[in-house]
Amino acid sequence: AVAAPIEIKFSHVVAENTPKGQMALKFKALVEERLAGKVEVAVFPSSQLFGDNKVLEAMLLGDVQLAAPSLSKLQKYTKQLQIFDLPFLFKDMKSVERFQQGPDGQKLLSSLESKGLVGLGYLHNGMKQLSASNPLKVPADAAGRKFRIMTSDVLQAQFEAIDAVPLKKPFSEVFTLLQTQAIDGQENTWSNIYSKKFFEVQPFITESNHGVLDYLVVTSAEFWMSLDKELQVEVKKALDDAIAYGNGIAAEKASEDKQKIIDSKRSEVVNLTDAERQQWVTAMKPVWAQFEEEIGADLIKAAEASNQ
Amino acid sequence: MVDVMIKKVVSHLEEGFLSLLLVSMTLLVFVEVVARFGFNSGIHWAQEATLLMAAWFVLFGASYGVKVGAHIGVDVFVKMLPANTHRFFTLLAIVLCLIYCGLFVYGSWIYLSKMKMIGIEMEDIPIPKWIPMSILVIGFVLLIVRFLQLGWKVVIGQADGFHFADEAEESMEIAKDLQDTALGDPENKDSNKDKGDKS
Amino acid sequence: MTIAVLFITLFFCMFIGMPIAIALGLSSVTTILMFSNDSLASIALKLFEATSEHYTLLAIPFFVLSSAFLSTGGVAKRLINFAVDTVGHIKGGLAMASVMACMLFAAVSGSSPATVAAIGTICIAGMVRSGYPQSFAAGVIANAGTLGILIPPSIVMLVYAAATEVSASRMFMAGFIPGLMMGLILMIAIYIVARIKGLPSQPFPGFKKLARSGIIALGGMMLIIIVLGSIYGGIASPTEAAAVAAVYGYFIAVVGYRDIGPMKGVAWQNEGEGVASASFRNTAQMLMAIPKSFADPEVRKVVLDASKVSLMLLFIIANAMLFAHVLTTERIPHTIAESIIAWGLPAWGFLIVVNILLLIAGNFMEPSAIILIMAPILFPIATQLGIDPIHLGIIMVVNMEIGMLTPPVGLNLFVTAGITGQNMIWVIKACLPWLCLLLGFLMLITYIPQISLFLPEYIDSLNGY
Ligand code: NA
Ligand code: NA
Repeated sequence: AVAAPIEIKFSHVVAENTPKGQMALKFKALVEERLAGKVEVAVFPSSQLFGDNKVLEAMLLGDVQLAAPSLSKLQKYTKQLQIFDLPFLFKDMKSVERFQQGPDGQKLLSSLESKGLVGLGYLHNGMKQLSASNPLKVPADAAGRKFRIMTSDVLQAQFEAIDAVPLKKPFSEVFTLLQTQAIDGQENTWSNIYSKKFFEVQPFITESNHGVLDYLVVTSAEFWMSLDKELQVEVKKALDDAIAYGNGIAAEKASEDKQKIIDSKRSEVVNLTDAERQQWVTAMKPVWAQFEEEIGADLIKAAEASNQ
Repeated sequence: MVDVMIKKVVSHLEEGFLSLLLVSMTLLVFVEVVARFGFNSGIHWAQEATLLMAAWFVLFGASYGVKVGAHIGVDVFVKMLPANTHRFFTLLAIVLCLIYCGLFVYGSWIYLSKMKMIGIEMEDIPIPKWIPMSILVIGFVLLIVRFLQLGWKVVIGQADGFHFADEAEESMEIAKDLQDTALGDPENKDSNKDKGDKS
Repeated sequence: MTIAVLFITLFFCMFIGMPIAIALGLSSVTTILMFSNDSLASIALKLFEATSEHYTLLAIPFFVLSSAFLSTGGVAKRLINFAVDTVGHIKGGLAMASVMACMLFAAVSGSSPATVAAIGTICIAGMVRSGYPQSFAAGVIANAGTLGILIPPSIVMLVYAAATEVSASRMFMAGFIPGLMMGLILMIAIYIVARIKGLPSQPFPGFKKLARSGIIALGGMMLIIIVLGSIYGGIASPTEAAAVAAVYGYFIAVVGYRDIGPMKGVAWQNEGEGVASASFRNTAQMLMAIPKSFADPEVRKVVLDASKVSLMLLFIIANAMLFAHVLTTERIPHTIAESIIAWGLPAWGFLIVVNILLLIAGNFMEPSAIILIMAPILFPIATQLGIDPIHLGIIMVVNMEIGMLTPPVGLNLFVTAGITGQNMIWVIKACLPWLCLLLGFLMLITYIPQISLFLPEYIDSLNGY
């Protein structure tokens, strides 16, 4: 008799037409093509199965096999991943890619193992920009203003470093709060600013590229170890190909969405001169030292080195 | 005697705890608004704390709700049945409720053990996640206790159903408070009391 | 097969008298265990997620609490006095004033039966004393009382927002015009009946007294201004506005009107007391009142009552989320939508079916339960047919209003029977003519979406969409 195919449930929180959604579908297609009869993939988009906060727990319980939460969500599993939130660490997505594919980035994938998770690969969203109800040219423009952040100690420190007020608010409330200016601004990637319609309620977006917002494709160690070596290699290969495909879409979408925002004329894009940008760097960089102990000085150095 | 005393104390504690949770949630969110609007600052743990209190409020409160008949249900049909049949269906319903609780106690226990083993902390409050989550097990165990009590009452004939909350009945309390008020009387009795209101 | 198991278990559990929350939860768990390989642990996780990750849901306990404070004591009396002073001098004025009072009370409370109880107790007796037939008075109030869930804030709308993830503040705005419209329709009908039957009017009290009763009533009416003002004025999100409303409700009931709590019966100004010493005394007493409130039996009772209602609603919602989870993962609404579209049912036909379904459900179930079961099924279908989710929400709310007036389970009927001391048949007959008016109104709401959508869309356009 033939053994029943192994089922992989891939749960994510975004729509199917996003880079992540496309990547998941690509993975499903590749697996079905290459591993027909051996592995089956079911994709559950739009938080149908679990939200980002609970999906990792469900994975540990063995009810989900793949997920791609944002790196910030993983910080409670390993402090080292906080590195991706450090402001002005990476110059652009190329540097991010170099670091992630390099030896240190790859080693980080296994940093979750003690918590029962295995990182399988990095998936891009893009570089973060600062949007606000007033133009942000220099850090002083942000002083005293309220910014919505995702739960992350680094991001909190980052806004405190420029004397701004970081606020944690559930995503469901953010749009209204920005619209009514109860909160002044937020940080996000071009594609999120576009898809979440933040550009409609944020008249100014500073192209700061001050940080990176990426995802980590994870699985549970228990599930991963249960696959035989050959299958592991095949699945990993399909995933790598799907991630490359998704990253391609993400890069395209970042520039497309930026253009769409400019074309909408709802929001003005603020460009920084080198001198202005340097002011932001100077103001925010002390955050590195704050987290050096938790992340590891060597790792930060390695990341910085990926900028050439 | 002691029995009655204990019941009273337990009731007081339950009620006090639930009220405290509701008031704390409300005030914490209120204070957050005041802090943000009035003092341009935030409370970074407020969101997580509020949501946790909400979870405790619901999961702890569910069993209290059974005790005081705060839950709602459809009892028009069973009430039309003869008394014995009615009692039979009520007992069946209680058994099904116990099965529901049993499934959740089992599931929650596994979930909780896993979380304790992995040992992840809350996002903003530096305590291990499994501690606040334990309300899942606590809540469903309490629910089992309440259903067993109710089942016993049905068996000995002290109760015949769940005694669902009746919004209509509760609204009648408002009516009782207002009963002796006259309308259309130009010099209303309480207009004296209102003197100076909002001044 | 999955659909059958899910719904048969649900209805069986419900009809043998299980709490609806557990009926929803048990039917979902049974279906999951039978048709998918999810573990019980992850179902427990799902339930914990439902209780601990939905910040917007917190608006429900907060509004319930604010309603609870504002339903105590004399807020209703003050709103009624103001309404009588405003429209009492028109023919049929007392009945019109009752409708207006219901509308005002609806704007501070999220519950319909509470509106009937608070306004009806005073108004029905008042109308009878002034020479109105009792059945006329009872019918008017029972109907006008349903506005409690249509005029914001509304618990039923929050439940709908929770079930479908539409914006609660948009739902609130959408209920405004329909609520005013329904009130006006009732008043016009009363005027016509009053002309024909020669019903009495009150003497006009003069502008000075009108202004005075207006100012006194303002304490209660401010609530709606605070809620909508803080949302649209950039102070708070809808959830936060609800918490602000709850705190305001406490202050107005305990410190402002002093109907309950430690300051009960304390005058703002004693006879012969100077303004300065009165202000000093009041401030000191208020500061003392806040800590004293924690021990005050009346205040504690309000909070405990609000807790009971809130935990009941939130526990149903948590279980309903499990139910909705089964619906989505098993693609049940999708399947139903496909067959409806295959029948070639157009949007208007679908809306007829929706209304009939909801009216039937309204006969024997309570609004929040109906919304939580029906909304996740109807919502995706409506979206496919191009019906605006907000519009669907208002249709559902108006259906729920009607459900409050239909036997055997009709909360407003029960309360009206309780207030008047009459039997159910008498109450149903008294309500019937007005119920027909409400059914006509439902048709208007169903087929003229602009009534519901105008205000939220207008506000969007102000913000430049
Ligand atoms: Na209302
Ligand atoms: Na009904």
